[in-house]
Amino acid sequence: MEAVRNALDFSDFPRLDLIVAGSVGIAFIIFPLFPHSSFAMSTMIQFLMFSLYGMGWNTIGGYGGQVDLGKAQYVGIGAYTTAVMLILWDVPFWVSMPIGMFFSVVWSFIIGYPLFRLKGHYFAIATIATSLVLKDIFEVWDFVGAARGLEISPIKYHPPDFLRLIFKEDVYYFYVILGFFFIGILYMNWFRKSRLGFQLRSIKDNEDVARSLGINVHWAKVKTYAIATAFVSMVGSFHACYIKSIEPEDTMSLDISILIALMAMLGGAGSLWGPIIGAGILIPLKSYLKEWLGAQAGMVGIDLILYALIIMVISAFEPRGVWGIVEKIRRRKRS
Amino acid sequence: MKSVLRTGMVVLSVLAIIGFIVPSNALAVEEIKIGVIYPLTGGAAAAGRELRAGAELAAKIANNVMADLPMTMAQNKGVKSLGGARIKLIFKDHEGNPTLGADLAKKLILDDKVDGILGCYFSSVSKTVSAVCEQHGIPMINGSSTSPALTQRGFKWFWRTTPHDKWFTKDLFELLVGLTKGKVQGVKAVPKKEIINLASACEKTEWGSHVSGLIKEFAKEYDFKLKKSLLYAAKSADLSSEVRSLKASRADVMLFASYTSDAILMVKTLKAQKAHPKIIWGQDAGFEKPEFRSTLGDSISGILTRTVFLPKVVEIKKLAGQVNKLYKEKTGNDLGGASARAFTGLQTWVAVLEKAGSTKPADIQAAANALYIPGKELVVPWQGIKFSTSGDELGQNVLGSGLIGQYQKGKDGKIGLEIVYPFDVSSADMIFPFAGF
Repeated sequence: MEAVRNALDFSDFPRLDLIVAGSVGIAFIIFPLFPHSSFAMSTMIQFLMFSLYGMGWNTIGGYGGQVDLGKAQYVGIGAYTTAVMLILWDVPFWVSMPIGMFFSVVWSFIIGYPLFRLKGHYFAIATIATSLVLKDIFEVWDFVGAARGLEISPIKYHPPDFLRLIFKEDVYYFYVILGFFFIGILYMNWFRKSRLGFQLRSIKDNEDVARSLGINVHWAKVKTYAIATAFVSMVGSFHACYIKSIEPEDTMSLDISILIALMAMLGGAGSLWGPIIGAGILIPLKSYLKEWLGAQAGMVGIDLILYALIIMVISAFEPRGVWGIVEKIRRRKRS
Repeated sequence: MKSVLRTGMVVLSVLAIIGFIVPSNALAVEEIKIGVIYPLTGGAAAAGRELRAGAELAAKIANNVMADLPMTMAQNKGVKSLGGARIKLIFKDHEGNPTLGADLAKKLILDDKVDGILGCYFSSVSKTVSAVCEQHGIPMINGSSTSPALTQRGFKWFWRTTPHDKWFTKDLFELLVGLTKGKVQGVKAVPKKEIINLASACEKTEWGSHVSGLIKEFAKEYDFKLKKSLLYAAKSADLSSEVRSLKASRADVMLFASYTSDAILMVKTLKAQKAHPKIIWGQDAGFEKPEFRSTLGDSISGILTRTVFLPKVVEIKKLAGQVNKLYKEKTGNDLGGASARAFTGLQTWVAVLEKAGSTKPADIQAAANALYIPGKELVVPWQGIKFSTSGDELGQNVLGSGLIGQYQKGKDGKIGLEIVYPFDVSSADMIFPFAGF
């Protein structure tokens, strides 16, 4: 009960933050009621998905300071669990999603236990390696369609199918992922105030001091890594039903791992709102720059240059990301 | 005053009669929007440029009268049965990303309200885009994705004009068998033991992995020994370990399925490591792009590639020569496999719309299923276009065929592709064995 109270308690945030967050939340809920393009809708869904990926990354990467660049493997585990169970045994999404999360957590324990013996860059490289190895295994594993992947056939199911999460209109997917998004925020709000959350921040500041305080540093990292993977796996399951076609090259690529980490870092690692801000900037920027400059103005490739430039400028101005800029401004105002 | 009223009445009556006789949509449609999804950036951007230019040229011909071109779409301005409606192409770049492709398809269907889709070159992207089209009941014509699985899904809104990899891979093995029987122009019968060992390296998305599987299948069927079968990432910055592995297999014949940048890198690495098989064969795509030729120069002499169009086709097909001239004026390059198929894909769209006389999806579906374009109207050397409407391969053109070309140095000193298969249309003696880099 106390956990629920903690999850719902945002009283340590300034009132302005809560007003802005509340308004944005309401805007999200009513967004589909206003005229919008399908492009805006798919951009919103992508934004919510990457916010959730980022929240997962933020637990271990932001609060724990462990730069994880292998999150795509958990996207893959979630996506493949849901797709395989639906295609082969007609298992509904709401059953396969938690099973996928379970598999991801088990896998995270298997690789997390040895990986967290490593530190800094070595840990980051090792996470990339494990993700790529798993991707390579999936690429030759016939049971999961090998490199060709799996397809949830649009002619086999009759949308709207809430059990299997098969819809024709994106608005249904939007509300499902929005629900996950709100639950994710509440969970993260609980997490940052939990015992594990405090332990992690202490580990991030100084591992030796944390250890001297009696914190089992290794176990705390492994547990948090498992939480992070569960988040990512959940969205991976959603991704399989949303896109309906998955293959290792698309679902488990290094690009996805980097994008997840990049968004959280750009928004502000180690803060509740950071990953959401990061995804809120990068996803629309990527989509709309491409649409306006690439497709409409015919300047193919310029969008990528501008996209990279914006990331570099923000990073150079404030390495702690956008949330770091907000905090800096606040501190200046106070002093 | 009376005469003015009478004239007005007559005009109104004529208009009313026209309104009854002519289908309303024929008058209403001014332009037909076709969404075209190709890879315009990334590793296959070169192919994307070619595909775009091919589709644009077909649209230009369809929207104008070019009476000297012996094809139906060149005889009318726009789509005649739709009151001369012009074809408008809306291009989107999928970057080789299937997820992005699906999003773009939704945007084209729901926001841009396109009447149909053309694309997507990458089989993996065609898979997700065609699934979106199927769900929304919007027709999609695919001109250049060759994974056989695409037309084996029972989709009712997907048609493919190009032959697929099963046919192309079979052609390769027919060529190898032909070599052993002395059927290849300019080459005496080669004992089978000299070319029996094969090795393949294919990029590992939908297309390449399927080709890899087909090579395994046909090697068994035709009794060749597949010593090594590799899958690699097309985005790889280094292929040296793959090439080392291919060399170690001591294969006589090396087979590849690669997109542009990886095809170039593969050949560069083969050259750097002094690989010397007797035959190098590419499954079209990267091996046929102008960039492949311009980057690697003379070193590709003797390399084989399967395709559906070679500049040599213009010598046996007048129409191909005429269209090739227009294409060369536009881009500076000859038509290639990608551009010729993009051209044919859009030509098929125009023919379907002409036959449908409507932009209603159901009418387009019926027209596509009943379509027949004779081979003489195509730039590609096929018997024609007719889609399968029953059996295992719904929507597959059953009248297509492939070619195998070999890079050879011409009298002008320039590297070009000569036809070596089918044997009866060979345009030069085949270079065998591959002379090395």
